[in-house]
Amino acid sequence: MYVTADMLLMNPEQPQETAVEVVLVRAVLDGDRDGFARLYDLYAPLVHGILLARVPRAEVDDLVQDIFLHAFRKLHTLREASSFGPWIAMIARNRAVDYHRRSKETVEISDEVRGTDTHDSKAKEILELIRSLPEAYRETLILRLVEGMTGPEIAARTGLTAASVRVNLHRGMKLLRERLGFVEGV
Amino acid sequence: MKEDYLWDKTGEPDPEIQQLEEILGALRYEPKPLELPQDLLVPRRRRNHFPLLAIAATVLLALLAAGVWLRVRTQSEPQPKQASVTPAPSTIDEKSTVATNNDEEPKQQKIEQVRKGGLPPLPRHSKHRSSSTTLPKQEREEALEAKQQVMLALRLTTEKLSLVHKKNQSPSNQIKNQHRVG
Repeated sequence: MYVTADMLLMNPEQPQETAVEVVLVRAVLDGDRDGFARLYDLYAPLVHGILLARVPRAEVDDLVQDIFLHAFRKLHTLREASSFGPWIAMIARNRAVDYHRRSKETVEISDEVRGTDTHDSKAKEILELIRSLPEAYRETLILRLVEGMTGPEIAARTGLTAASVRVNLHRGMKLLRERLGFVEGV
Repeated sequence: MKEDYLWDKTGEPDPEIQQLEEILGALRYEPKPLELPQDLLVPRRRRNHFPLLAIAATVLLALLAAGVWLRVRTQSEPQPKQASVTPAPSTIDEKSTVATNNDEEPKQQKIEQVRKGGLPPLPRHSKHRSSSTTLPKQEREEALEAKQQVMLALRLTTEKLSLVHKKNQSPSNQIKNQHRVG
């Protein structure tokens, strides 16, 4: 029986997300542009979370678009379709490094200028605390607390082992709790 | 358990984590449509260059074998110019012929050398025979053997080339490649 990307996406009982990735990546390589839009819908939160852990919030949305555009152009270089998640996560991390390399000074200023909205000032404060944590913890914590992913989802999409994600979550949460003791109202 | 809530949102909810989720939820990704330029083409699959490389390597091997064969062939051929210029070296055969011609001088010299305690110099085989018309039987056999080996190498490379060509043409191989790339 021929299984289409739509069927896999509509099926909530599909145990492995990688099966969807594989079908979508192949569909895109066969000329289906809509397939890439589906991949974007699936993986944009992951890329958003990875960037949020590293670059100013105001730049994140534009960078997400750039990363997916880059991924579309380079999709033919992906050897294993099931590795789309770890592949795009790596692109996002590299792009964040490039961003800091290219615009060291202007980024910090623009973030401060735009961050005058009081509505989410507390969220930004906590986000800064998370950003001060070691890299392995901050990414996992943001994906869990900001993007709302579960541990198994984080493991599946980033390519990390479930054990690593679990350790990162618990140690990161412990550190965050310690640091939140200095923040009022939380 | 509270740890389960942090891991997969099951079990007893942790109020601290719930509060953090609520506050940080304001920063969550808001779905936006992906803006792909219309002129941007769908990327093509990466082409597998292995068959081409295999064919190129086979052709190179065949050329190399042909070169070796030609070299062996030219080396085994007589070179009359050099043979005429260089003096005929003293080989065993020639010495025997000389001896049969009743030329006693070299023989006497040898005897004198042995008497003095020395040994006569060993006979040297020249690379190029003076007789340009026919090759010695041994060399001819060697040349034929070398030729047969080169022909065998060429036959092998041709078979390999056709095998690679067949592999490249078969539909099962195409599917395999697609899996590898995809």
